[in-house]
Amino acid sequence: MKKKFWLLPLLACILMLTGCGKSVNDQSVLKNAKQSNTIVWGVKGDVKLFGLIDVRDGQQKGFDVDMAKHITKHILGPQGKAEFVTTTSQSRIPLLKNGNVDAVIATMSITPERKKIISFSKSYFDAGQSLLVPKNSSIKSTKDLNGKTVIGVVGANSVANIKKVAPKAKVIELQDYAQAMNALKSHQGDALTTDNGILFGLAVQNPGYEVRGGTFTVEPYGVAVNKGQTSFTEAVDKAVLEMQHNGEYNRLIKKWFGDVPGFKYKELYRR
Amino acid sequence: MQNWINAFSWLNVRFLLMGLWVTIYISVISVILSFIFGSILGIIRYSKIKYVSQVVGFVIDIIRNIPLLLIIFFTYFGLPNFGLRPETIPAAIIAMTVFESSMIAEIVRSGIQSVSVGQMEGARSTGMSFVQALWHVVLPQAYKNMVPAIISQFVSLIKDTSLATIIVVPEMMQHAQVIYGQNANYILPMFAALAVLYFVVCFTLSIIGNVIGKHLS
Repeated sequence: MKKKFWLLPLLACILMLTGCGKSVNDQSVLKNAKQSNTIVWGVKGDVKLFGLIDVRDGQQKGFDVDMAKHITKHILGPQGKAEFVTTTSQSRIPLLKNGNVDAVIATMSITPERKKIISFSKSYFDAGQSLLVPKNSSIKSTKDLNGKTVIGVVGANSVANIKKVAPKAKVIELQDYAQAMNALKSHQGDALTTDNGILFGLAVQNPGYEVRGGTFTVEPYGVAVNKGQTSFTEAVDKAVLEMQHNGEYNRLIKKWFGDVPGFKYKELYRR
Repeated sequence: MQNWINAFSWLNVRFLLMGLWVTIYISVISVILSFIFGSILGIIRYSKIKYVSQVVGFVIDIIRNIPLLLIIFFTYFGLPNFGLRPETIPAAIIAMTVFESSMIAEIVRSGIQSVSVGQMEGARSTGMSFVQALWHVVLPQAYKNMVPAIISQFVSLIKDTSLATIIVVPEMMQHAQVIYGQNANYILPMFAALAVLYFVVCFTLSIIGNVIGKHLS
């Protein structure tokens, strides 16, 4: 076995190599996008209303996806192409850092923790966190959550928020919203928490459940880009502003949220 | 009940089968590549070539003792640091091949060692070189013994492709997630469908393995 000791320095070298890979994406994302006339967007693939793959044609569809398409046209002009890569709550930041995608528009709230590693545009959607409970539940608001079990989704910051408003609540984190919904239905938890838009989407197919307590956080969604890509975030901000002025924004809100029962979509309108 | 009927609409089933196709595609390519690389690595490790065999053995030991999930993460999120930026499906194939090659390499090595030493010595005494003896005498017997172990390794490879959903490879598991993303009530029907489809594919492979095994012996 002694013979193998000379291998240890080799292993150390390999480990060091992995540690000092060169930092990707020092170039301007905006400049590259203009050159290739394409913006590659990271979007969700399994979240109803925001980014869900359509089984008919395999294309991602939802509010986030439409926003990305419109923002692309505003930045690159009518010939600009938007390409989509499906991401999850866990993979979207690494993909951004590695340069697999130019920008992420995937139900991503702007938070101070995330701002340390990536940059955000201004908010493009005013989400807020709420609770989904069975209609006969005694839970009226977040005050009733102490001692109860709350279900959330991994990689989202909604779980951290629950720990702030109800420190004594027990929290279960699951892989995706459908799994979380099933855990709620099989009584593994007393309430499901995430952004209200997603909750209303889940409540549509489950009439025995309702969204309660209003929104107890303000969690605006932002377009995420790699740290330092300020020219790109400024272009996104400008595009969103233009969309608000010419009514495109409100049309998209109505298109995706107009039919969701119980959801006051007009409160999301922007001028 | 209505949920089950809706969950298995033709569009959903077609989407799930498209996922199955990707699962099979990744599996077949990874099986072929890992059989080739695994055999080469296993023979090198057996051959006791100075230094080379030791390095190969050391690397195999490392990979065999790392979770496949971590290797998948590394190929997709780590390789871009070295200038390689594989798409999801190639990343999954690379990860599966790296992991399964080292598993197959160990099976090959132990398979060769299971052939009695006398076979090698006998072959060498007739004037064959080491490589000739290995190729014509030892390996045919070794692979015959290895068939069950290799087939069961490939069965687990097929099941392990489901781990690739973590990097959003559009395989069967990920497509099931998309389908129950439309409606949370489809989750149980989809899990049931996944169980049936994985079983059918893997069990078919086991049967083929048994047939090959019987044919050889």
